Amino acid sequence: MVVKLYAQLKEDVRLAEGLQACMNCGICTAICPAAEYYEYDPRSIAITVQSGNEEKIAALLKSDTIWYCGQCMSCKTRCPRNNCPGLIISVLRKLSQETGAFTESRMGRQQYLIMKTIGANILRFGYCVHPTVLKPENHPEQGPVWKWVFENKHDVYDSVGANLDGDGPGAMRKIAETDLSELLKIFKVSNGIKLYETIEHFSQIKAVKMGLVDQNGGADMEKYTQYLLQEV
Amino acid sequence: MAEQIWKNTRSIYYRKFKMEESKTKIKWSEYNKEIADDHFFYLRSCIRQNFNPGAEKVFLSILQKNLNKDIFDDPHHTTCSGIGYHSDIVPFETFQTMVARQFSLMGERGYKNCAVSCITSFGGYNEVLSTWKDYPEELAKARENLRKATGREFEIPENLSHACDIIYKFRNEIARQSGYRLINRETGEPLKVVDHIGCHYAKIFPEKGVGGSEYSRVLTGMIEAWGGQTVDYPERRHCCGFGFRHYLVKNNRGYSISNSRKKFVSMEPYRPDAILTNCPGCNMFLDRWQYTLAQMEGKTYGGGTNGIPVLSHEELAGLVLGYDPWKDLGLQMHQVDVEPLLKKIGVAYDPKQKFAGKNGKYINKPLFTGCINQNIPV
Amino acid sequence: MIKNKHVAVIGGGIAGMETASVLSNQGLKVTLIEKQPVTGGKLNDWDQLFPDFSSSETLVTRQNSKTSHSGVNVVYNTEINRIEKINGRFELSDERDVKIFADAVVVASGFRVFDATLKEEYGYGLFGNVITSVDFERQMKKYGKLLTAQGTEPKRVAIIHCVGSRDAKVGNTYCSKVCCITGIKQAIEINQKLPDCEVFCFYMDLRLYGSKFDTLYLTAQKQHKIQFIRGRLSEAAEKPDKSLQIKAEDTLQGRPLRMNVDMIILLVGMEPGPSNSRLIQNNKMALDENGFLKSANIHDARNCTTQEGIFMAGTAICPMPVNETLENARSAATEVIHFFENKKNDGRF
Repeated sequence: MVVKLYAQLKEDVRLAEGLQACMNCGICTAICPAAEYYEYDPRSIAITVQSGNEEKIAALLKSDTIWYCGQCMSCKTRCPRNNCPGLIISVLRKLSQETGAFTESRMGRQQYLIMKTIGANILRFGYCVHPTVLKPENHPEQGPVWKWVFENKHDVYDSVGANLDGDGPGAMRKIAETDLSELLKIFKVSNGIKLYETIEHFSQIKAVKMGLVDQNGGADMEKYTQYLLQEV
Repeated sequence: MAEQIWKNTRSIYYRKFKMEESKTKIKWSEYNKEIADDHFFYLRSCIRQNFNPGAEKVFLSILQKNLNKDIFDDPHHTTCSGIGYHSDIVPFETFQTMVARQFSLMGERGYKNCAVSCITSFGGYNEVLSTWKDYPEELAKARENLRKATGREFEIPENLSHACDIIYKFRNEIARQSGYRLINRETGEPLKVVDHIGCHYAKIFPEKGVGGSEYSRVLTGMIEAWGGQTVDYPERRHCCGFGFRHYLVKNNRGYSISNSRKKFVSMEPYRPDAILTNCPGCNMFLDRWQYTLAQMEGKTYGGGTNGIPVLSHEELAGLVLGYDPWKDLGLQMHQVDVEPLLKKIGVAYDPKQKFAGKNGKYINKPLFTGCINQNIPV
Repeated sequence: MIKNKHVAVIGGGIAGMETASVLSNQGLKVTLIEKQPVTGGKLNDWDQLFPDFSSSETLVTRQNSKTSHSGVNVVYNTEINRIEKINGRFELSDERDVKIFADAVVVASGFRVFDATLKEEYGYGLFGNVITSVDFERQMKKYGKLLTAQGTEPKRVAIIHCVGSRDAKVGNTYCSKVCCITGIKQAIEINQKLPDCEVFCFYMDLRLYGSKFDTLYLTAQKQHKIQFIRGRLSEAAEKPDKSLQIKAEDTLQGRPLRMNVDMIILLVGMEPGPSNSRLIQNNKMALDENGFLKSANIHDARNCTTQEGIFMAGTAICPMPVNETLENARSAATEVIHFFENKKNDGRF
């Protein structure tokens, strides 16, 4: 049975919110920061999805195109038909990951990296980012002051009244195990873990296809990660 | 939703349509949104806690000590996972359930109003609330998910305001209590402050921003109440470029830095004395990218070797109220030096305490602060 | 006998004047009620009419002359805000409780120009070099050519279509019909007086419904080198030198563009008249989905409101150009006469 992509997109409530009917005016592209930087045209995303053309949608799901959007939502502010290409993009990205299409594009493959960092942080720390994982060597752009903060974490956070990794309230407190276990349960019940596993599953298949394997021929995800980080 | 807008505006026409089909004409310059007065449940920001933890402590102090407000800091709340949601690794269903848990904690403590620290959260909470209003089946699913996972129930908050809304609301009282004004002590001229509004504050739901989305008043109101002058420049509304996945994945950072650069180039001719932000991400990026650009291009956009100091609304409010720049506000964690701004305002500070620990003992210091290393001969 | 009947016409623009003079020439008693000290309405501010660049002033003068020769009684400085049917007649009142009694009423209260300050991102009212098409006509009447706020001749002008129209964000989703051709007319006028000035029209669609209009479009491109870019303006920002930076997409190229221009002209749409919502209060008139007065039948009874005995003419009904307004006004007069002659409405409503 042929998978109808457009029908799948429509199952997401956000598609109805993001796409009322597009009249091709281009106001979204005019103001889009990603359109200034990449070969990207949010108007054509709206039009393509609106057309319901299965081939074109399938091509989109496999392309870098849907990963250019920076989710600023400047498009939503201006659209004279109350559409929101940024929201349409989120729906496309979800389907791209669910179907595995994301591994076909360089930028789509990066979802694996985000899942392994931000995704892991949420469940491990209860924060999206944590000072311990913001290593200066991975973030030279953060500058020498951040390096100083990183190298003197507890002294610095203490000096401004934060509670780094401490019990009780305060900035950067340790999130208690009971709370973290609630987060994990939430992720399990609401299909959050399912998405992580889906990303992992298709990324492993891609790693094998790319020959990034261990001695047993299984996916070597460390090699895959390193490969993705230098892919331009 | 349309009724709420009508209650809060002196606008001209009103019809009972859903926002998408509404024919409401709103004169945004007169638009005031509803901001709760007291009894807040604080929802912290991952980014602000990581990079500017002093700001959140000061916000609580300002509300509790300066404004005598009741604001509760619950250690059991967590990330809302908004950054994960906008990088598309956290599904909408999960994000809704995470938000529901935050509201459950709020209700458990007996609160009905939220004070939100992060702009991504603010946009996300509003997106979820709007979804639940228009799609009751999504709300039902969120209730079921949260119950199944944690046994929790939750109520919809009566009011959800961002921390900057609250500071805005009490800006005149803050001015009244302040010993400092945003005026150059040497020249007597008002300081020129660029306001940078985080995209998710008002671009998604203009009716959730003070003054709408184009000429938002939440930060300009503060600047003007405290004696400063706002700067309008062509790329004022441009995104700082965080772009979520565009920063999180190091390969994509060119996007992030280019967007900020566009803003700096545009604001440079106006020679601003400071940049004021409400989003913790923007606060961090506009600070760090000035340093990174200086390393790449050899120039700054504020003239000289330092750059333009970037402060958040809590940091600036704390500054004019006389909180200590290092111990309370944690401004030493900024890359661009804030001292030029402190000198202009006339804020008293002890340079020796900048890199001191809690006990006043010197920790050590970063290789350099500001945008360009002064110690290396050019 | 219709000659004893009294008709009140609300609005002394060209529509009101036309209906009033036609009815008066038919022998009816007519009172024309105008809120301003002079008749003529919006056309008093207009310079040249499309598509032939004829003078608005000349046309208004003809209307005024026709009206005074036909014996219409004109009442000035009176704004009717209430129409109520009492004992078989209509009672019209204004805020001072001036009362006029009539056997039939024609509402020709016209339109309101869209308030472009509502499009905050265009900077109208903030940036001196952002003006509307209405401001342009005033400038042309006064100075004969377009000048920047600094008094200099612009070198590049952007004309923006669909301002306040086809825009859910300002609550007007309809098309205002006459703006596209107005933009082309104004573009040509700019180039006629300032041959070195580049003119760009930013449009979504070119709605050139009239038989002479596409010819004018061709003329604009061939003779006047007006450039047309298919893309709606997203925002305008003022630079230190008071010129404007605009952002749009050239949708036919599929590329975003950013451009510096010296001036922007916003083609503002026609909105329902400000008095509409008050006029419908005490009778059976209604508004349509765009806020204009609702017709009993949009096809063959456009001049009939949903209140028997109250009719309408001109842009109170919907956006329309001068020729259509005058024809529409004559048609309204016919409906009034048929009403008095008790002609059946033929199942139209």
